[in-house]
Amino acid sequence: MKTRSITIYVNGEAYSLNVAVNRTLLQVLREDLGMPDTKYGCGTGECGACTVLIDGKKSILACLSLAATMDGAKITTVAGLEQEGKLHPVQEAFVNEGAIQCGYCTPGMVMKSVSILAKNPHPTEEEIRRELEGNICRCTGYVKIVQAIQKAGDAMASTC
Amino acid sequence: MSEFSIVGQRIPKIDAKEKVLGQTMYAADLNFPGMYYGKIVRCLKYAHAKVTKLDLSEAAKVPGVVKVFGPKDVTQKTYNAGVMDLMVSEPAGQMAGDIEDQTIFTDHVKHQGDAICGILAKTEEAAERGAEKVIVEYEPLPVYLTAKESMKSDAVQFTPLKPGNKAFELPAEMFPNNIYGWGDAEAEMKNADLVVEDTFYVPKQKQCQMEPHAYVALYDRQGRLNCWTSTQMPKCVHPKLAKLFDLPMSRVKINQSPVGGGFGCKLGMINEPQACAMAMAVPGHHVKTQQLREEDWIASESRHPGLYWMKIGLKKDGTPVAIQARFEAYTGGYYTQASGVPFTTGAWLSGMYKFGACNYKGEAYFTNQVPCGAYRGYGNPQTNFPLEQLIDRACNQLSIDPVEWRMKWHKNVGDDGWCIGFKYPSCALDECLTRGAEAIGWKEKRAKYAGQKGKKRRGVGVSLMNHCSGAMPMLLEHTTVTVKVNEDATAEVICNCSDLGTGAHTALKQIAAETLGFPMDDVHMLVGNSDAAGFDIGAHASRTLYVGGLAVKAACEKVTKQFFERAATALESNVEDLEMKDKKIFVKGSPAKAIDVKTITSLGVYNFVNPATGKTVGTPGQIQGYESFFPPHNSPPFSAVFVEVEVDTETGEVKILEFVNAYDIGRAINPSNVEGQLEGGAQHGLGNVLTEETYYDKNGLCLNSSFTDYKMLGPSDLPPMKIILVEQPDPIGPYGAKSCGEEGIINPIGATANAIYNALGIQFLEAPITPEKILKALKEKGLSY
Amino acid sequence: MSSRILPEFDLLVPQSIPEAVEMLTKYQDKAAVMAGGTDLLVLMKSGLKVPYIVSLSEVPGLDYVIYDPNDGLRIGAMATLAQVADNADIKKNYAALWESAAVNGTPQTRNRATVVGNILRASPAGDCCAAALALGGKVVLQGAAGKREVDIDHFWVAYRTTARQAFEFAVEYRIPANVGKSAFKRMTRADQDLSKLNAAVCLNMSGNVCQGARLAIGCVAPTTVRMKKAEEILKGKEITDSVLKEVEEAVKGEVTPIDDVRSSAWYRKEVSGILMKRTIQKACA
Repeated sequence: MKTRSITIYVNGEAYSLNVAVNRTLLQVLREDLGMPDTKYGCGTGECGACTVLIDGKKSILACLSLAATMDGAKITTVAGLEQEGKLHPVQEAFVNEGAIQCGYCTPGMVMKSVSILAKNPHPTEEEIRRELEGNICRCTGYVKIVQAIQKAGDAMASTC
Repeated sequence: MSEFSIVGQRIPKIDAKEKVLGQTMYAADLNFPGMYYGKIVRCLKYAHAKVTKLDLSEAAKVPGVVKVFGPKDVTQKTYNAGVMDLMVSEPAGQMAGDIEDQTIFTDHVKHQGDAICGILAKTEEAAERGAEKVIVEYEPLPVYLTAKESMKSDAVQFTPLKPGNKAFELPAEMFPNNIYGWGDAEAEMKNADLVVEDTFYVPKQKQCQMEPHAYVALYDRQGRLNCWTSTQMPKCVHPKLAKLFDLPMSRVKINQSPVGGGFGCKLGMINEPQACAMAMAVPGHHVKTQQLREEDWIASESRHPGLYWMKIGLKKDGTPVAIQARFEAYTGGYYTQASGVPFTTGAWLSGMYKFGACNYKGEAYFTNQVPCGAYRGYGNPQTNFPLEQLIDRACNQLSIDPVEWRMKWHKNVGDDGWCIGFKYPSCALDECLTRGAEAIGWKEKRAKYAGQKGKKRRGVGVSLMNHCSGAMPMLLEHTTVTVKVNEDATAEVICNCSDLGTGAHTALKQIAAETLGFPMDDVHMLVGNSDAAGFDIGAHASRTLYVGGLAVKAACEKVTKQFFERAATALESNVEDLEMKDKKIFVKGSPAKAIDVKTITSLGVYNFVNPATGKTVGTPGQIQGYESFFPPHNSPPFSAVFVEVEVDTETGEVKILEFVNAYDIGRAINPSNVEGQLEGGAQHGLGNVLTEETYYDKNGLCLNSSFTDYKMLGPSDLPPMKIILVEQPDPIGPYGAKSCGEEGIINPIGATANAIYNALGIQFLEAPITPEKILKALKEKGLSY
Repeated sequence: MSSRILPEFDLLVPQSIPEAVEMLTKYQDKAAVMAGGTDLLVLMKSGLKVPYIVSLSEVPGLDYVIYDPNDGLRIGAMATLAQVADNADIKKNYAALWESAAVNGTPQTRNRATVVGNILRASPAGDCCAAALALGGKVVLQGAAGKREVDIDHFWVAYRTTARQAFEFAVEYRIPANVGKSAFKRMTRADQDLSKLNAAVCLNMSGNVCQGARLAIGCVAPTTVRMKKAEEILKGKEITDSVLKEVEEAVKGEVTPIDDVRSSAWYRKEVSGILMKRTIQKACA
């Protein structure tokens, strides 16, 4: 087949599309669905700028996912983290800790951070740094990103 | 510092929330009705070739393709993507030999990645399919990858304007004997007790900003050329595009889109000319063009690599007698910034230590690689690598502690800075060295490691740096700011200063708010609009906070002056008897005798005639402060970086254990942002010295144009970082602040090289210092541990 | 070739193993089998043209990781590296495979990339390849004629070429139980990287004596290879420093690496023995 009808769920909403089979999830999100919050950084799986979550916790790369094979997938992008105008604790921590400079890596970095804390609410610094691999930041040196994840983890732990 | 209420606070960046929500619209995110996609087709097969045949007819037939552009289908005007022509005077540019040798599309390919034609289509996919159908034939030419090769008498000339392919040399008219510095170093060297010299190689490295270069251009139906670009210099791109397309500036609009990282890569133009040329052909249609990541290494400017010879002479007691140096830069296929870095490399060299004589020569030669431009540090990383290592070599031979030597011989307040004739107004290096050495445990570790045994060897190294806050008088430093006050006593700060992610806009807003006496929320930054604001030379030379900050401060002071004058009239008092707090101006000691600033500003706009009295109330006129600012200095910042490494002598692998940067910031307007700059710079610098290099095969084709193989340090490679902000306010900088944008990259390089030297007793003349090089050196010297 | 735009191709999404087999029987070497896609799509963005992609994404029952203390380990074609890295049984009993899966790529690619895919990719730098070769086991292939098993020792026949025929696809990788103590190590330029050198060992120990060893090393030949001479040195011996020194020298003598953008032939040869020694020490720890 050259095109396929799929239904994907993005940030809680269902979208039924007929996609060309050679289109990646990244292209579908950015172009077909008009959601530019997920970024193109390298297209070959190195930089993590296109990181989105499956089922709210599993991080994957939109640039290396064929949209046509994602029928039924439940996808979260950074635009889907905000709840009724309130920032997600990870977003809040990124802002307050100075973990954002140029912001281009931020959507993917935030999604990776959410997935780290979803798997392990109390990661050590070493664990955070290892799990951050696959998301490249050329601005911050990662220091304040790590601090933000630690702060977010504390904040999320204290509210449950 | 509690003497200020806003300056000095760790205020979250003003654009952080928008960025964390994913709502920031970078140029690639912009979409407009009827928008086309412009694909720039590049020569990927050859690093040097003549295009002998270009047939776009098949490409034009591909469904969705709208137009095709060969070199002759667009303006033939030449340009220089860099902005040196705007930064120095015409006579200076002529003396330097600056040229404009780039064209929008070329038929003489001078580096892999050179643009040969353009395909405009309705979608990016159609443009790609069109590009696949371009028929092109080349006549390959000899490839030159070093100055030695391209300067040969029989080499193909890159441009008739530069015989011998020598792009640049320090002009004798400005620098007698083509030498920058002072004294006769060759003669003075004879008075040295110890001379150490070597030739180093500093590699080609890439900024690797996360945002791939993207542009949108529109030639609208009012006859205006609009360009959305994340350039670092919107108000320089403005006149350059106007000139290139023969338009008055009033018919060119630059919208600076959010900058997804710059680090110098966007210092000037990259693909604005191609985007605009294609847009001019389809009036009314926006044209988007975005580089692919794999194009970044071959289609945007890199650091200047090259051979760097250096010789230093010291007395037995360490007195620095003389230094001679020569940097032979391989400047790439086009001129771009050939006259910039080969000069500043020597400037930073001259600004660091109290050598009796200092003679530096800088030259640049064309090579068949992507042209060189600005990469954070602009010659300072190149200088830090050899200079700091030779000093440690000399210290080692003279049994002088490297920290003590630097403490004694670094330049200081009142000494000539990197720009000879401009004396340093401030220098906190003594405190930086003391606090940094303590933080890393210098004395204890140097003593401990002197007697270490075993296959893992540790070492600590130190390196200093000096840089600049703006580059006057070498470069034009000019920023205009308008502070427009709304009738409700809130303010717009209108300027074209750039924020590359640095937090500059936040810091400028902090300065504005502090100076105006307004809360942060009452100030809005209007930036990135070439129609709205006047000139700013751009974000380079670490100038935005210092020059932009001084300009903002001056414009705000013009506003507060008007507040006070109108208040004095209203309160029937004298300006010097008034003070302002919480947006109220009152007579000192008589707080009841007061007027709200809001009343002043409202009456200025709504200046009605009172029907009862027949008179107007309050001073008429909407308040505005305008400043066209040229800074009086460039207040260089300094820092001392300390690095501890552990080397695995069986494999040559280096682990960075600890990192300290004690930084002479003057005043941290926003300490969180300053730390972020230094931490981020360290990721660059440590990678520059250990892992990063752009590699080429013998045909000049890039071997690692990807993140897969252009290796940067990641979060689990980097050590804990301690940033010590030493605040001794500069007499000139805004609230005493100096710059910090570039500097974080510089001295991690020398400090790491020196730490490896301390660990192994071996110095490395070529960066990056890879395990392969370390192991080879260990084996060749027959060292075992 | 473009990292944003894939070339055109025909997509086939079988809903069962027999359907997948039918498609491969029909299209054979015009078809590429896609599991996680993290390798294939990158290759296609670099210019590889493939007329048909057979995606296993909707074939049920291929994502299993089944460990049995007697039967051993069975990993289905769609089981991801993340599944393996999260598995305590594998960490305990097949440490080399566990480690290779845990460090290969990035967390995002590990959520998609598969062990079987890594083996099928047959890159000499494949991390799971090194582990697999050390642990032994078999690749199970399914074609129209049914299943067949190929010993891992015979699976990679040349550079990026496997024993898989165009009309079949790999459904499983299986390793017997009680293979012994194993470990994996690698050398990279930065922590997240393709390996410039990797090694895996599996030691069959009887008290302090090594009864047999499988020593695998990658990035030194067209495929991952075993260091047979070094294996002989270990046989029947206690693993002492001097024995390890012999192994080190043997490995160094046996490997034939090349220069590439990641490292040099000289360096790889020089440190190959060190890496192998350290991997053995890790297995024994």
